[in-house]
Amino acid sequence: MPVSVFRFLLLALGVWLLPCFVLAQQRTYTLQGRVLSNAETLPGASVAVPALNTGVTADANGKYVLILPAGRHELVISFIGYQTLTRTVNLRADQQLNLQLTLAGNELGEVVVESSGTLEQKLQTTQMSVERLTAKEAKLLPALFGEVDILKTLQLKPGVQNGGEGTSGLFVRGGSADQNLVLLDDAVVYNPNHLFGLFSVFNSDAVQSVDLYKGGFPAQYGGRLSSVVDVKLREGNQQKPSVTGGLGLISSRLTVEAPIVKNKGAFLLSGRRTYFDIFTRQINKVNEGDPDFNPIPDYYFYDFNAKANYTLGEKDRVYLTGYYGQDRFGFNSTNGFNFNFNWGNGVGAARWNHVFNKRLYANATASFTHYQYSITNKLDQFSFNLASTIQDYTLKTDFEYTPSERHTIRFGAMGTQHHFGVGRLKAGSTDGRLNFGQDVTYQGQEAGLYATDNFRASDRWQLEYGLRLTGFQSDADTYGGLEPRLSARYTISPKLTLKGSYALMYQYLHLVTNSGASLPTDIWYPSRLSVKPQRSQQVSAGLSFLFGGGTYLLSNEVYYKWSRNQVDFRDGAQLFVNPELDAEFLFGKGYAYGNEVYLEKKSGRTTGWIGYTLAWTKRRFTAQRGTSGINNGELFYPTYDRRHNLTVVGLHQLSKRVNLTGALTFSSGNPTTLPLARFVFQDIYGSDAAAVPVYPNRNGYRLAPYHRLDLGVVWKLKPSRWFPESDLTFSVYNAYSRRNPYFVYFDQVKNEDKSQTVGYRARQVSLFPVIPSVTYNFKF
Amino acid sequence: MQMERIKRVFSMTPFQAALLWISILLTGCGLQKDIDVDLPAYPAQLVVEFYLMPGQVPQLTVTETTEYLASPTPAVPRDVRVVLSAPSGLKDTLQFDPGYDSLMQKAYTHRGTTPVQARPGDTFTLDITDSKGRHVTGTATMPALVPIDTVEWKFNDKPDDQRRAYVLLRFHDPDTPGDYYRFQVHRDSISRDPEVDYTPEDRLNNGQEFSLGTSYEFEANDTLIISLFHLDRSYFQFLQSVQDARNANGNPFAQPSAIKSTVQGGVGVFTVLSYQRRTIIVK
Repeated sequence: MPVSVFRFLLLALGVWLLPCFVLAQQRTYTLQGRVLSNAETLPGASVAVPALNTGVTADANGKYVLILPAGRHELVISFIGYQTLTRTVNLRADQQLNLQLTLAGNELGEVVVESSGTLEQKLQTTQMSVERLTAKEAKLLPALFGEVDILKTLQLKPGVQNGGEGTSGLFVRGGSADQNLVLLDDAVVYNPNHLFGLFSVFNSDAVQSVDLYKGGFPAQYGGRLSSVVDVKLREGNQQKPSVTGGLGLISSRLTVEAPIVKNKGAFLLSGRRTYFDIFTRQINKVNEGDPDFNPIPDYYFYDFNAKANYTLGEKDRVYLTGYYGQDRFGFNSTNGFNFNFNWGNGVGAARWNHVFNKRLYANATASFTHYQYSITNKLDQFSFNLASTIQDYTLKTDFEYTPSERHTIRFGAMGTQHHFGVGRLKAGSTDGRLNFGQDVTYQGQEAGLYATDNFRASDRWQLEYGLRLTGFQSDADTYGGLEPRLSARYTISPKLTLKGSYALMYQYLHLVTNSGASLPTDIWYPSRLSVKPQRSQQVSAGLSFLFGGGTYLLSNEVYYKWSRNQVDFRDGAQLFVNPELDAEFLFGKGYAYGNEVYLEKKSGRTTGWIGYTLAWTKRRFTAQRGTSGINNGELFYPTYDRRHNLTVVGLHQLSKRVNLTGALTFSSGNPTTLPLARFVFQDIYGSDAAAVPVYPNRNGYRLAPYHRLDLGVVWKLKPSRWFPESDLTFSVYNAYSRRNPYFVYFDQVKNEDKSQTVGYRARQVSLFPVIPSVTYNFKF
Repeated sequence: MQMERIKRVFSMTPFQAALLWISILLTGCGLQKDIDVDLPAYPAQLVVEFYLMPGQVPQLTVTETTEYLASPTPAVPRDVRVVLSAPSGLKDTLQFDPGYDSLMQKAYTHRGTTPVQARPGDTFTLDITDSKGRHVTGTATMPALVPIDTVEWKFNDKPDDQRRAYVLLRFHDPDTPGDYYRFQVHRDSISRDPEVDYTPEDRLNNGQEFSLGTSYEFEANDTLIISLFHLDRSYFQFLQSVQDARNANGNPFAQPSAIKSTVQGGVGVFTVLSYQRRTIIVK
């Protein structure tokens, strides 16, 4: 990006924000501080001043800033799982005030039935199309194999589709899974999945909360088209050491946290590991020697999370975050065949939070992320290794400036150095007769610059407007884009607000996959040569209505998203270790629109939500590159298109010790590709003649609708000497054992002695029947 | 190229690994059932399989595509006219004369009368018409012969009952890029299923020596027929697309692939085979 363009944009940003600085100052004072519990910050906590109909949400550091008129004010501070606190302040000057919340009921928090944030707060905020979820909320809900998964819980929100039975991939408002920006404490996570997508990499014991932005993206986010999944880790207990853990059906977890220096800093270490492999090894051992038994390969995954924070002084605080996880799949036979397939992420981030003065503070973050998969095969004297990596180093800084009670300005910049190891192949033999390899790598530099202002124009109008400038370079190819962002809220009445937003997004990295599913072997590829950045624009509008004395919030949002340079691949594309991979891409346009209805209840003994989405997602890939495009250039539905999606989630506090939960999901069947015809292929020699399917069109068939009911009970146990707090969580996944379609295939029907094919039939495969599970959680 | 060979030898790709795990889950749960599917009608297309072999009487198979769930009996149209044009311009109309070639273990529908002569670089054209107005055309040029340099084998050091040999074929890839091969090993006779069959390309080591091999799978005194076919790009792509299409049925992770025919107006392949062959007895 030429320097002059940056200058111009800086100027443009300055002009854009100028009105904020010249507004007349009123006699106001700044009230700021942190919302804490045991000195652990509580990002997302609400600090409200009901009398003034204003309030803020604590940021990622638990920090809040309120600019209020001089005088006495009553503050109401609330957060999920904590007792709501009311404090009165008398403002005669700028004031620093930390707010301590105490846990409600029990410290595990599993039986606290209250969702994050308040409905009032959600009604008032300018930001729309965002879903916030805490790990404590996710832990309440029943889960597959009892493995609480915060990403899967997000799939229960309107506008979010899953990628298939049991998978944790998110498909947000017609976007594909690679169009989600997944952040862990500001560091990108490129593959947030374990076990081919059945579980996410986020350990619920270590996670504080996740924010999912579906639209109206704040200007500080960029780089992906469809959503931002912003995951924050817990910071650790600054008051006393504690240990949390759980024993589940397929994995166990352990988390240790303790003060580094009491009230100044703390650390948290968390790990988990599955134990499929322990069982499968035993099965293999029992069946050893049975010629009809095929040994089951080893599979397990593990991950570690670490976070530390330390207060250097009144104005400085530092945070360190680390994640490392691996999936390991292996098969080692006695006849010389060894197969190992490993993949995983490593993520690190260091953040320095500095308060310049009462109106200005900043965060500077250096982060690192690495994803790699490797396949190692060995058979007798031959070996074959295939690997791919992506590695980023990122520096970013974010400022927040509050010049007046009407304006909150955020601005910042980021730069990332990408390394793309698109494919590394090495093959050889021990006798040296075979030895060859290939390594395809690229570099890329990505930069972003943004500024945004939240402008409370009047009691009724509130605007958030911003610009983001982004640029990307890979070798000689340079791209740039200007991304305007705008959100507005109009308060029709204290219980009824109207919201709208517009956002333009660029995505410079592309996921190379021809599987239609999220697999560990998917490769990230930079914009270069003929592969141009993806671009999308989204407009959305919504109405929120608070009723039942503030108990219920009914929201309705409509959206329309249009995208270009969407990527797909030629039939039979060579995706592995291809130095000319860009020639395998196809480019098209995408369209998505829909309506999301959302009814929430967040307080009382019974809480939950009902979400309904009516949506369309379409793509068009016209004739190009010697092909007739996809489906001859006609519009088609991608696999994640769902016409109807309904979720009903209920949580009921039966007693102080027992909570009942349930989640019902219904969605239209997803499009899939089935062969319409077949032909007999004899080949040169006809001894192995076979039927070959003919697939004239993609995704022309829709699977049967998907529906499922999950039930759960959280039963808090009586305190014991060793485990003062513990519970048993019972889950029943797919309670009525619905045979949901996973995929359909065609099979031959043989005669009795299996010698002849007498017909063909369609078979539907389902993945999970009813699966009960129990998890024991403890804390001491 | 060799990568393909190794992939075939080691056989378990990540997709298959995923499938294996899924299949373990499914086996445990037994969650499969027959369903009714309504598929839109698909007009039948002519399907051609024509492998011209120098020195042999040309024969080919012309069938039709059928709806997937229809009867398994192949649809054989009877009123199909096949004209083969030689590089000299001479045209030969192949008669509808269905039969079975016991050596090649395959059925054919049309057959010529005299052996076809072909040299590398010769181009043949094919013209097929039927009474329904369907018209299939194609051209095929014989690729250059790529000589086999050596075929060797080596036994492992295991006891007699586990003693097995691998076979290694060596040849030199031409300097020009875009060469495709098919490596086959038959035991005893080409009328049987090949023991080894894969299609490497020279994408990653153009112009270098190729070593194509097998795992330790042959016993002492096995008679093996080693074949090295030199393919043109369109035939290679056809074979690849057939394999992809077959793999996609039953694999939820695969992207179904359209068949990349070498002929126009229908489905199938028309090619001139260029191959070298050695017979060995591993001792």
